[in-house]
Amino acid sequence: MASISGAQGAVPGIGSGRIRRSSRGSSSWRGTAWRWAVLIVAGVYFLIPLWAALRFSGIKAFGSVIGEDGFTSSLGLSVRLAVVTTLITIALMLPTTVYVHLRLPNLRRLLEGITILPIVIPPVVLIVGVLQIAPGSLKGTPYLLALEYVILAMPFAFRAIDAGLRALDLKTIVEAASSLGAGWFNTLWRVVLPNLRTALLSAVVLTVALVLGEYTMASLALFQTFPVWIYVNSQTSGQVSVAASLLALFVTWLFLMAITMLGTRQSRKTGGGSVTLFTVARQETRGN
Amino acid sequence: MTANITGNAAADGTRQVTGTRGTSVVLQDLSRSFGATRALDGLSIEMAPGELVALLGPSGCGKTTALRIVAGFETADTGSVLIDRKDITSVPAAKRDMGMVFQSYSLFPNMSALDNVAFGLRMRKVGTADRRKQAGELLDMVGLADQARQYPHQLSGGQQQRVALARALAIEPRVLLLDEPLSALDAKVRLQLREQIRTLQQRLGTTTLFVTHDQEEALSMADRVGVMSRGKLEQIAAPDELYDHPATAFVAEFVGVMNRLPAELQGGGMVTALDSTVPVMNPDADLSPGPVDVLVRPEGLAMQVIENGNGIVTTRTFLGSVTRVHVLLSGDVTVQIDKPSSEAAALAPGTSVSVSLPADPVLITPRR
Amino acid sequence: MDQTVAASGAPGSLADPGAPGSGPGAGAGARARLTAPAALRWLRRVAGVVPFGAYVTLGLLLPMIAVAIGAFQNNSGGFTLSNINAATHGIYLHGFWQSIELSVITAILPGIFGLLIAYAIFTAKRGNLLRQIAVTASGVFANFGGVPLAFLFIATLGSSGLATQWLTDLGFNPYNNGFTLYSLTGVVVVYFYFQIPLMVLVILPALEGLRPAWREAAENLGARTWDYWRFVGGPVLLPSFLGCVLLLFGSALSAYATTEALTNGTIPLTSIQIGSFLNGNVIAGQENIGKALGLGMVVIIAVAMLIYVALQRRAAKWLR
Repeated sequence: MASISGAQGAVPGIGSGRIRRSSRGSSSWRGTAWRWAVLIVAGVYFLIPLWAALRFSGIKAFGSVIGEDGFTSSLGLSVRLAVVTTLITIALMLPTTVYVHLRLPNLRRLLEGITILPIVIPPVVLIVGVLQIAPGSLKGTPYLLALEYVILAMPFAFRAIDAGLRALDLKTIVEAASSLGAGWFNTLWRVVLPNLRTALLSAVVLTVALVLGEYTMASLALFQTFPVWIYVNSQTSGQVSVAASLLALFVTWLFLMAITMLGTRQSRKTGGGSVTLFTVARQETRGN
Repeated sequence: MTANITGNAAADGTRQVTGTRGTSVVLQDLSRSFGATRALDGLSIEMAPGELVALLGPSGCGKTTALRIVAGFETADTGSVLIDRKDITSVPAAKRDMGMVFQSYSLFPNMSALDNVAFGLRMRKVGTADRRKQAGELLDMVGLADQARQYPHQLSGGQQQRVALARALAIEPRVLLLDEPLSALDAKVRLQLREQIRTLQQRLGTTTLFVTHDQEEALSMADRVGVMSRGKLEQIAAPDELYDHPATAFVAEFVGVMNRLPAELQGGGMVTALDSTVPVMNPDADLSPGPVDVLVRPEGLAMQVIENGNGIVTTRTFLGSVTRVHVLLSGDVTVQIDKPSSEAAALAPGTSVSVSLPADPVLITPRR
Repeated sequence: MDQTVAASGAPGSLADPGAPGSGPGAGAGARARLTAPAALRWLRRVAGVVPFGAYVTLGLLLPMIAVAIGAFQNNSGGFTLSNINAATHGIYLHGFWQSIELSVITAILPGIFGLLIAYAIFTAKRGNLLRQIAVTASGVFANFGGVPLAFLFIATLGSSGLATQWLTDLGFNPYNNGFTLYSLTGVVVVYFYFQIPLMVLVILPALEGLRPAWREAAENLGARTWDYWRFVGGPVLLPSFLGCVLLLFGSALSAYATTEALTNGTIPLTSIQIGSFLNGNVIAGQENIGKALGLGMVVIIAVAMLIYVALQRRAAKWLR
């Protein structure tokens, strides 16, 4: 769920296959047909299970989801965890990434490497180790989970912020701010952060999505977060569980869409391009 | 202007270069819109074999769109492109046999300079040994024989563009297309490459279409320059013709510097400005008497130091062999006059001068 | 590290003339001699990443070390190899192989499909609604797993699932032909649901790195679509593609909830086995085997990363 590599700012549009006349040649017609075939097959694969689930749970189940025992408490827990995790993650990753970009560019690669680790180390293994070394006081509170979720979210937050920073000429604007008399706080707050708004938004969104969907560590640490509740509840009422899952999916999707569109509108105002979850791409400049 | 290898002046002032190879290129009535914007509006150009035509204009004038249509990367809404009198509008880009040099970063990053240059030959199924040899020769021609094994990221911007040029020429294209190839380079490199491109082009006799927004580049390199604005071709002519006899006010002000003076049109094709009455140059202008503006080059104005003249020197800028002097006239009009530096000593700011129009015809344009 | 510049920037400012790449003589290649002030300066510079380093150590490194140590401990804390021994034989060994097999399949196939989908999205008109929807959907689905996903598929491809019924109506009942959702094959189909979106998300930025000028230059020189991908697009994308596939491998290997919900532990997979140790579903006195299994997983990942690095170097030479 993050960018591994990729240069910034490239103007897209390889073989933009908008055919005006067949005079373009059969290659681009074939290209468009193929593209639609791929997307349709993908759409079918992803949408059918949703439809099947909808039919299985029935519309009525959606209504009773909210009334179910434990729904509110588990959702509340997940949301609280999401907030705490997000705060800690941003507080940790933002200054670090900015700092590395500015002062320690050689370490950037190393940082990137370290942030890959949480993705490839199984959360299952991680939770075993955490439960081993965590002090008893911490083990009692679910906020232990939040602390570990920060580690899980770290790669995605880093990618998002890193991408945002690479699209800026950070060194130059910081030096410019410096020469105009801004101290480090003002520089960060007034110059760097506003330009990172969309990157930060991405980081937040990804972290929240992660926390709201994380099951493994929560269940093995015996806390009843929302995903855990769905599983537990499924033993009693399958339909309601499925309805809850669909609801969670839909809400997360709406949330992300809203953020992306907001981000795009924002960045278009300042001359940027459209926002995807990981890069703020430059706007295509039409020919001269 | 660069000297040509062989040149004949045709009746209309265009310089015809007959090279060793080269095909004629005709753009016929090309139009293209992007949504509501009309990028190209009936563009027609005929290029003689071996000619270098520069398309010059500000951003958004349609020059790059025109080039890309010729290359096959865009399709025109109407109109056609003829190579050697054959309509190639429906031929895909890969089969058009044209060499193109892009603005920047078009070298394949995963291949050495040599392999980049050899790529077109590889596509044409030339054997490994042969294509390596040919690529080597081309790199030698652009002066980069030593860099053959280097990768694009190890080369400077100027070197990259030279490799790109060699790559485009390797396939012995019928037409060479250049899309602002020098814009991303620094000044000195730009000048060197300008000469190199022109020399190569003339030696090979390849018909070339060159897009740029830098008028100096266009004027110094091209056989003919087409000035474009908002999708239309304002004028296409040899550089000196363009400079001395601009067809429209846009061309006049875009190419070189023009002074704009308020004037009064008298009847009979005469106009009065700065207390002189001179003939009007543009033959098809509206000649009914009334207020107009007159366009004059800096070197087209006469200036004398005199007490109580009609102007005062405001600034004087030393530019080397020429000094640029700005003079404030009555009516809050400032003109720019270029003088050889040896004569400019007496023109300190504050000096009173008299500026006048010599008796030559001038361009008129509607009062702004 | 640049040692030739004495000043270290105005106090309170972010711009640092002492940073490598700035200031006169920076990067001039002067070999640094570790004098006391130089070392101090270096320490001060590194200080900025200390909070991060500390957090990662506490949250990631220490747990991992705990697991590694635990793998070699017996119940009374003494050193033993019996855990490792158990973990590399019998059902646990079987579990490892299954996990690897599953992860490889669900890394490569979704990798390819994900690339195709990403490319299809990418070459559609930019800024399109389609693109935003697709990217957001990928973001959501990549995180969607576990029980909800299992339920979705039970409702779809279970013995009385919707798709199963459709296929039966068309004359082909997969369950009569040996297919069952609750087998490894079924798990593979389900894994695609989050692996493909994950691939789409991580490969899209790499696609953006493919400059259109390369495609056009290639076309201009006579290359057809296949030639472009073979000589330019493919080689340039390959390192990123491999990196993403590695990511998918890791993600598949660590997946736990989905398979657990689908199969209730009937298929031996390492992640499930580790989970059962935590759930206490094991014979007392053997808990540390779980840690040995965890260590095993980390070793597998490490090996995969080494293969990746070697492949990356080779790939640069292969496609000459």
